Amino acid sequence: MNATVPQTNPISISRIVSDLIAAVGEENVLANREEMLVYECDGYVIEKNIPDVVVFPTSTEQLVAVVKLCNKHNVPFVPRGAGTSLAGGTLAVGGGIMICLTRMKRILEINLRDRYAIVEPGVVNVWLTRALSGTGFHYAPDPSSQSACTIGGNVATNSGGPHTLKYGVTVNHVRGVELVLPDGSITMIGGITEDNPGYDLPGLVVGNEGTFGIASKVIVNLTRDPEAGRTFLGVFDTVEAATETVSGIIGAGIVPAALEMLDNLMIRAVEQAFNFGFPTEAGAVLIIEVDGVEAGLDREAEAITKIVQERGGTVQRSIGWRTRKEPEYVAIWKSRKSAFGAIGRLSPTFCTQDGVVPRTKLPHILRFITEVGQRHGIRIANVFHAGDGNIHPILMFDERDPEQVKRVLQASHEILDECINQGGSVTGEHGIGVEKMEFMPKLFTENDLAAMVAIRNVFNPLGRCSPSKLLPMGSACIERKSPGHRASA
Amino acid sequence: MSDSVSWPDSPEGGEIGDGKFARATHRPESVEDLCRIVAEASAAGLAVYPRGGGTARDYGGVPRRPGVLVDVRSLDRVIDYPHADMTITVQAGILMSTLKGILAEHNQRLLVDAPEADRATLGGVFATNTSGPRRFGAGRPRDQIIGVEFVTADGKVVKGGGRVVKNVAGYDFPKLLTGSMGTLGILTQLTLKVRPAPETSAVVWAVTPSIVRILKALDGLNLSESRPMAIEFLNASAARMIGEPLGLPASAKDLVLAIGIEDNRESVRWQIERLKDELKEFDVSVREGDASGPVWSGLTEFQAYRPGSTTITANLPPSKVGDIVGDLDPDRWAVQAHAGNGIVRAHLLADSDLESVAKEVDALRAEAVGRGGNLTVTRCQTEWKSRLKVWGEPRPDWRIAEGIRDTLDPRGVLNPGRFVGTI
Ligand SMILES: Cc1cc2nc3c(=O)[nH]c(=O)nc-3n(C[C@H](O)[C@H](O)[C@H](O)COP(=O)(O)OP(=O)(O)OC[C@H]3O[C@@H](n4cnc5c(N)ncnc54)[C@H](O)[C@@H]3O)c2cc1C
Repeated sequence: MNATVPQTNPISISRIVSDLIAAVGEENVLANREEMLVYECDGYVIEKNIPDVVVFPTSTEQLVAVVKLCNKHNVPFVPRGAGTSLAGGTLAVGGGIMICLTRMKRILEINLRDRYAIVEPGVVNVWLTRALSGTGFHYAPDPSSQSACTIGGNVATNSGGPHTLKYGVTVNHVRGVELVLPDGSITMIGGITEDNPGYDLPGLVVGNEGTFGIASKVIVNLTRDPEAGRTFLGVFDTVEAATETVSGIIGAGIVPAALEMLDNLMIRAVEQAFNFGFPTEAGAVLIIEVDGVEAGLDREAEAITKIVQERGGTVQRSIGWRTRKEPEYVAIWKSRKSAFGAIGRLSPTFCTQDGVVPRTKLPHILRFITEVGQRHGIRIANVFHAGDGNIHPILMFDERDPEQVKRVLQASHEILDECINQGGSVTGEHGIGVEKMEFMPKLFTENDLAAMVAIRNVFNPLGRCSPSKLLPMGSACIERKSPGHRASA
Repeated sequence: MSDSVSWPDSPEGGEIGDGKFARATHRPESVEDLCRIVAEASAAGLAVYPRGGGTARDYGGVPRRPGVLVDVRSLDRVIDYPHADMTITVQAGILMSTLKGILAEHNQRLLVDAPEADRATLGGVFATNTSGPRRFGAGRPRDQIIGVEFVTADGKVVKGGGRVVKNVAGYDFPKLLTGSMGTLGILTQLTLKVRPAPETSAVVWAVTPSIVRILKALDGLNLSESRPMAIEFLNASAARMIGEPLGLPASAKDLVLAIGIEDNRESVRWQIERLKDELKEFDVSVREGDASGPVWSGLTEFQAYRPGSTTITANLPPSKVGDIVGDLDPDRWAVQAHAGNGIVRAHLLADSDLESVAKEVDALRAEAVGRGGNLTVTRCQTEWKSRLKVWGEPRPDWRIAEGIRDTLDPRGVLNPGRFVGTI
């Protein structure tokens, strides 16, 4: 059904703009090309397109009015949070209205006794963490982008983070979503209680990448803080030894709270930026964290140290903590979570890939990445959620050079294909977006995809919300311009 | 066409449940077999009722259309168990007890508590979203599943998710199918996260006659220094049913909190001491190590007890659990609450007439719904089902649920009548 995404034309735009201004006020509408330039892409910079209008509803009522106007004028629309998507999830394919949720940003309720919070979609992930500080509870999903990304965006993409290894990703922490459906009606999916008669629709809705409608409220779980924790810096001569250690820890039946790896290129970039004290000569480091009750941590610490040493590594730092506010703890995680930012010092543009392999296949896939980088002459840095087998090779290039862009795409595809060969997936947390639609038929059969299209059509029968995303069927009217740019045909 | 097909009046073809008989029972030996059986039944205008161990045979609404039973227990192979990756891919017909044994060989386990493990199949447990005491610390079945394969109403194989622990490619069919009561597809294969077995475990059994003390303790446990795996609250009847056979203190007037902890020895020892201190107004007994096993089992099996005709389950915000448990007469109802999750299970103890039970159910349901929750009737005699409204009043998202069923199973082939609304 998506094959006929309605297109906009200049005459209809001016009418839409005046209707939108009437609905949300002039201060909440952008229609000037210059002002909209930052909305031409998100964290995925390989494809760009400026939307026709960007609108910022400040309440659910306004959001509903905007969606109804898109229906009235028969234009497509796409939700956007902070725009940190790394898969082009917010790309306004074929133009249309971009609905930015960043002005719906209230924390509506925090209930510690019943362990939930209700937030608007534009609430930035870390705001909730801050609001909970000192209560003994936290919101567990902690994407590295948490100081910028919104909870609405996290719900749409089912975000993970370093600590989701032990605590689970976004979907494991969402109880309910108020959804503005693409026809402008509002439905509460799930609720405050976990089990509700009917299908697990919150489970289905999380990760829909904006293709089911727009989340206007989210009910999330609050998680009890650990009683204590230890965070170790394991240092290795080679990437190989570090990845063997990851497999060793998981294989030994230890479930760390977090298990993150940085390779040498990444260590140097991060060290230059933050001076944490990472050994810049090391081939790789692991940030290994265990948590629980203090009384039980010594034994886990010993077991981990032993595994690190057996693989030729050393534990160079050991941070014992009772709260996550210890300065050294804050510093090591700030370095890790800002790693992507630090890459800016090495390269003007980069493309972060997001593949997954079974954890025992990490040594193999890291060797493969090195080989691909060498073959295509592309510098690749690695910083990733090793404990989950979720790799993030960062491919550096100059976007002005179409030849390099082509090689980056080729290298990315080879890496992702190898993840599939190893029994993994092409995305662990960033989503399919526009970037990875062509991989869907490699992961899923025609039957699987047909069922997904059928489900999408229950929520979004006209394909007006987030057209040409996630499911390859919808892309009939879209063709790739060389190299890699995409525009509506 | 379906109108011309009638219900058989003898049990020869098998029993679907709720007094309905199947026209035949098939036991497919392969997924292809199953696809063919479903496609043929569907083409003949028959419904298809999937079945595992039959432990939930009478769960849900009354079967609406005549049809065939499909026994999936021959689909019970382990497809892949890369234990060092802490995942397993297994067919849905495997018995929970068999799966448990296979995982135990590598000192691992699936964190789903299901009663009657030597009859219940994995597929049945996931289709009915069964859980027990450990869900407080370990999450729900949907939190353990990462991949699914199922056969749809037109006999096609569909899958979703994958075999790695983190994966956001495509919609989350594993979660959609978990708890779908066999109405969207027949589960054939699941990929699950598994976890290392804990070094040791313990149950702290704390007794008091005072509901006020219980409520205060539950508020306190929310911020306990220990990190419980389970927080269970039992009324006097439930405490006796579970505790007496194990020699744990329980009497006609006492209430019990049973707190489960699991970790390494040092941690468990320390947590026991913390809990003893936090619960010092209670009469506390501790079962530790191997001795805790039977207590965990008792807390898990309770939901499958059948002391009377009716069982109800309420879902509430955890802080409201005390209100509902307090409203239930302990001489009439045995009540277990997974208090940390706000789940209350109550078995009627004696036979009763429909009108008295209906009055209680209506009142409790109104209270649960008023507090943002719900109440379902997990078991009762067939004739009572429509009056007691097994699944309660329609919820706002049922319209979408019906849309999903209509798109995947437009003719209502799979388990018609069993689930919410028109599903
Ligand atoms: C430096 C950096 C580090 C990152 N680290 C991580 C990480 O550790 N883990 C991880 O999972 N991701 C990570 N990401 C990716 C990204 O931050 C996440 O995908 C995040 O959830 C996106 O949130 P956002 O608010 O920026 O959403 P956007 O980028 O604005 O949107 C993302 C998708 O969600 C949709 N959407 C947004 N809001 C709504 C809504 N209210 N209703 C419906 N659909 C909506 C959009 O249409 C789009 O498809 C990282 C990104 C960067 C740049």
